[in-house]
Amino acid sequence: MSTLHVVSHSPFSDSRLDSCLRICGAEDAILLCGDGAYGLHAPALHTKGVKVFVLAEDMQARNLPLPDWADSVDYPGFVQLSIDYDKVNTWL
Amino acid sequence: MSKSLLVISRQAPWSGPSAREALDIVLAGGAFDLPIGLLFMDDGVFQLAAHQNAKAVQQKDLSANLQALGLFGIDDVFVCRHSMAVRGLTPPTEAHPLSNDAISQLIDRYDQVITL
Amino acid sequence: MNTLTVGARTLELDKDGYLADLNDWSAEVAHALAAAEALELTPAHWEILALLRQFYAEFQLSPATRPLIKYTALKLGPEKGNSLHLNKLFNGTPAKLAAKLAGLPRPTNCL
Repeated sequence: MSTLHVVSHSPFSDSRLDSCLRICGAEDAILLCGDGAYGLHAPALHTKGVKVFVLAEDMQARNLPLPDWADSVDYPGFVQLSIDYDKVNTWL
Repeated sequence: MSKSLLVISRQAPWSGPSAREALDIVLAGGAFDLPIGLLFMDDGVFQLAAHQNAKAVQQKDLSANLQALGLFGIDDVFVCRHSMAVRGLTPPTEAHPLSNDAISQLIDRYDQVITL
Repeated sequence: MNTLTVGARTLELDKDGYLADLNDWSAEVAHALAAAEALELTPAHWEILALLRQFYAEFQLSPATRPLIKYTALKLGPEKGNSLHLNKLFNGTPAKLAAKLAGLPRPTNCL
């Protein structure tokens, strides 16, 4: 069973991404959107070995570089991910 | 067969509507006999503290409501051991403490997850 | 605004006919609320109303049907804690009607 975790808060002002990484399973992935895209600057994110996606427009709006350990997706890509993973856990 | 639902409640009890909303989802689901689990993590573990006083902040007594979980058929109540430990708390008797790995497996077992 | 007149007092009700203030409740008020529902309160009703007020004091919420049945079974035994007994007493909607007559807020987790 795999879960797509959706995080939309910056890890530098909020604990959601930290907590998400703590309980992320090996099959899981994280999708960063909104201020969550600032997670691309968080070293903890890629050392954990979890698959990371970022919503392209939120990344572009913030002029964030795409690191080699993350993939960017557009909205249709987001929808496809929601289908590919068994469930979606949005960190509201 | 109804889909099972895990509610992860991670906000402190008196800081906003999230803790109340998480509990309302759980109680409503329980009233309809849906298979529901409830996990307290991060500041959500503060909801389990003893002797809180809702009246002091003119709010509904969330901790009294939590005592009714069993009557609403909610028996699967869990608490994140890590979140308790970093706050210097010991897990209460009414919730099963889980390690980070156990939480990951817990999420796997449910059809749907809501994190508030 | 909905009101209920009991003797010389006029009590405020919410839009669904539930007492606005829990503290307005008395046996006399319960009788008046029951009369408005064309219901005559018997000792079997009073027993459940007392139980509901106890439930509210303990948990600070009005129970939906399932927890009401469970709690009644726990406190008064299974011959009273079942849907047949409670439905018969409270016109088929025990959680809503009994909460109203006991002066509690409308159960929120009950459609």
